Amino acid sequence: MTPERFHQIVEAYGAEPRRWPQAERAAAQAWARAHRAEAEPLLAQAAGIDAWLAADKVEPPAAALLERVLDAAPVRQAAPRRRWWWSGAAVAGVGLLGGVAGAFAVSFFVLTGAAQQVPPMHESSYLTSSYGGSSTDWSDE
Amino acid sequence: MSERDPDAELLEQVGRQDPAAVRSLVSRKLPRLLALATRMLGDRMEAEDVAQEVFVRIWKQASRWREGEAKFDTWIHRVALNLCYDRLRGRREEPHGEMPEEIDPAALPEAGLEARAQDQRVRDALAALPPRQREALVLNYYQEMSNIDAAALMGITVDALESLLARARRNLRAQLAGSGLSKDKS
Repeated sequence: MTPERFHQIVEAYGAEPRRWPQAERAAAQAWARAHRAEAEPLLAQAAGIDAWLAADKVEPPAAALLERVLDAAPVRQAAPRRRWWWSGAAVAGVGLLGGVAGAFAVSFFVLTGAAQQVPPMHESSYLTSSYGGSSTDWSDE
Repeated sequence: MSERDPDAELLEQVGRQDPAAVRSLVSRKLPRLLALATRMLGDRMEAEDVAQEVFVRIWKQASRWREGEAKFDTWIHRVALNLCYDRLRGRREEPHGEMPEEIDPAALPEAGLEARAQDQRVRDALAALPPRQREALVLNYYQEMSNIDAAALMGITVDALESLLARARRNLRAQLAGSGLSKDKS
């Protein structure tokens, strides 16, 4: 580290070593310790500008700005679409199930209509009493 | 590039439209972009517009972002600075600014009068710097970018950056001393 380079560093980056170029920081700090009489006035002058710059504070973003930025984010636009898509799919699914159930019911009634051609479940003989006369011939007993 | 971009992972999640990642990116970058634009433009409302516009571009770019050429933070700074320069040109700002008039404390509200006057002096002095000096100082001092990153962002060498920084500080010192800007206005 030369005196000229130390001057250049402080004039450009100020008095705080953390702002100095990383590759030269240790050497510059060592030079300042070894040459206090020359370094301190320079550092004091730079520290005055640093303090002046540090006095400038920018207010954090307002909630309204935050909202505007988030409202434009893709996630905020995609979410309602996705919900709509799901509800549309649900409606379509219910409709499909309804169609299947309807088709099943129609086929069932068609089949049962055809079944009326076969003998009824209850034969007429079961519906008659023993007093009504049976077609069975008991004469041999 | 040997080191991974510190924003890369978050950006991948933003590209997948992860809501938590979106909020995290906004909380990480919005204050930084707003501060940059406020100091470059000296106008809060315009700075908010610039910060919002940068995010519109981020949302468009997030799913396509690929690591490699530039850090994400450097890219958003470049976008923000371009938007700031567009607005400065729109104002027909002279490339070599003039020093503002002295702040009249009587014109300010009583509460926090001294602090407001001090803030205003700093903001005015920054606004009066030639734009490239202001850009170098804002990037290096306020945005805390390394000299290498700031120089790369500005498209200049580190030596040229140091020259701009030293001239900016000399101008500010002259302003502090009440003698106006030095003659070095490049």
